[in-house]
Amino acid sequence: MAPTDPIAAAQAALSSGDPATRRSAAERLAQSGTAATPAALALARACADADDQVREWVVAALEELGPPAPGVVGDLVALLTGPDPLPAYWAATLLGRLGEGASAAVAALATTLAGAADLAVRERCAWALGKIGPGAGAARDALSRSAAGSDERLARLASEALTAIGG
Amino acid sequence: MAKGPRRRFAPDRGVFTALAVAAGLLGSTSATAQGLPAPPVQVAGLTPQGLPLAPPRAPKPVDAILVASFNIQVFGEAKLAKPAVVDVLARVVRQFDVVAIQEVRAKSDGILPSFVQAVNADGSRYQFVLGPRLGRTVSKEQYAFVYDTERIEVDPSSVGTVPNPGDRLHRAPLHARFRTRIIPVGMAFTFWLVDIHTDPDEVPQEVDALADVFLAMKAARPDEDDVIVLGDLNAAPQQFGRIKQIPGAGWAITSGPTNTHRTKTYDNLIFDTRATTEYLGRSGVLDLQRAFGLSLEQALEVSDHCPVWGAFYPAEAPPVLPPGGIATAPGPSPR
Repeated sequence: MAPTDPIAAAQAALSSGDPATRRSAAERLAQSGTAATPAALALARACADADDQVREWVVAALEELGPPAPGVVGDLVALLTGPDPLPAYWAATLLGRLGEGASAAVAALATTLAGAADLAVRERCAWALGKIGPGAGAARDALSRSAAGSDERLARLASEALTAIGG
Repeated sequence: MAKGPRRRFAPDRGVFTALAVAAGLLGSTSATAQGLPAPPVQVAGLTPQGLPLAPPRAPKPVDAILVASFNIQVFGEAKLAKPAVVDVLARVVRQFDVVAIQEVRAKSDGILPSFVQAVNADGSRYQFVLGPRLGRTVSKEQYAFVYDTERIEVDPSSVGTVPNPGDRLHRAPLHARFRTRIIPVGMAFTFWLVDIHTDPDEVPQEVDALADVFLAMKAARPDEDDVIVLGDLNAAPQQFGRIKQIPGAGWAITSGPTNTHRTKTYDNLIFDTRATTEYLGRSGVLDLQRAFGLSLEQALEVSDHCPVWGAFYPAEAPPVLPPGGIATAPGPSPR
């Protein structure tokens, strides 16, 4: 039975086999603003959609969301290490928006910060660790190495994260 | 503010670059940071061609030019395929003399040419400037300026991407210098427009970086002190950080929502009120629902943002600076 809640319905439609249906669903979610937050995990996964226009609307929807439900932290962590950098980037972003509520993701964020091939993903991991704050103390070593690195932006974000973590 | 008897409109990118370097602000776009050549900026031909015959258009004011900013959420092929949406977008643009657009998101380069063709379907003569694709992920955005060539002209060689100090901006702003055409050249108002869309997750850092961008643009040319930074800042004026510390900094939208849901103040025009005395004190948010009789759902199909605008006197305003007073520009009474 199809969900009656429009956000839940659009979320379900993101998995449709029909690109036009997925595009329409992503567009509806992008137009819903923060009301689409319950679809955060589905949207992060849909960043890997093969259709360009689906991805653009999905990213637009993700930009407008508030912090996701704490219950999706484990699923977002799983996206950090996937083959596609865009879902990883948005998983890190959503974890950062959760702030200290994402402290269970610190180890995964630190590992991704140190080892991801995509610079934008590493930058977002540093940013997310800063948003988690003092609870991200276990990431100090990874952040320190990034802060001493040659990429200006990553070094700045890592330094800011270290300041936020304190101690 | 005193601006000399006649200002050059001829470009001087060398001056801009030298001053940016001198100010320690010479950054790089994400493309150049990866060792790639800077992506091209497109400036459409200045001579409109093939314009269809159309009914007479509503005249625009002779005593003001209207400068607007509009985030057209995910402005790409899907949106352009909806005639009702394109109709509203075209009617929005025709109300203004120049519109800074954010969120052109398309693989194709045909979006702006097709859209401007729709704008000009009533006989208008708009043209556009389109910036490079920008963004840190595979999802890229472009800035654009769409302007009425009967009332505004652009210096094509002034178009470029602002140096990104410290790589602090996700999408380095697009700048271009414009001049009004409804006033003799020697007296016409000239100004920089600096188009920006900040990243919603790094607003405080990006807004502070914009303060540096603003100052760099102010110093870019000794003969140009009018800089208007406009776009989707994802920030209300109380979140303007270091911008608020710039002497004379002011903004057109002081309160009230600018998004279609009517919940957030995100979009604005920022300028130096001491220098840009051409600002007439008139500004607003074009409520898509009310202006075009749309339902919320229909308005959201157009965009999740409403256009914001400010009115400027079309001639260079002489300084009106009484001791201890606030500059005022000559011009019409508010409508």
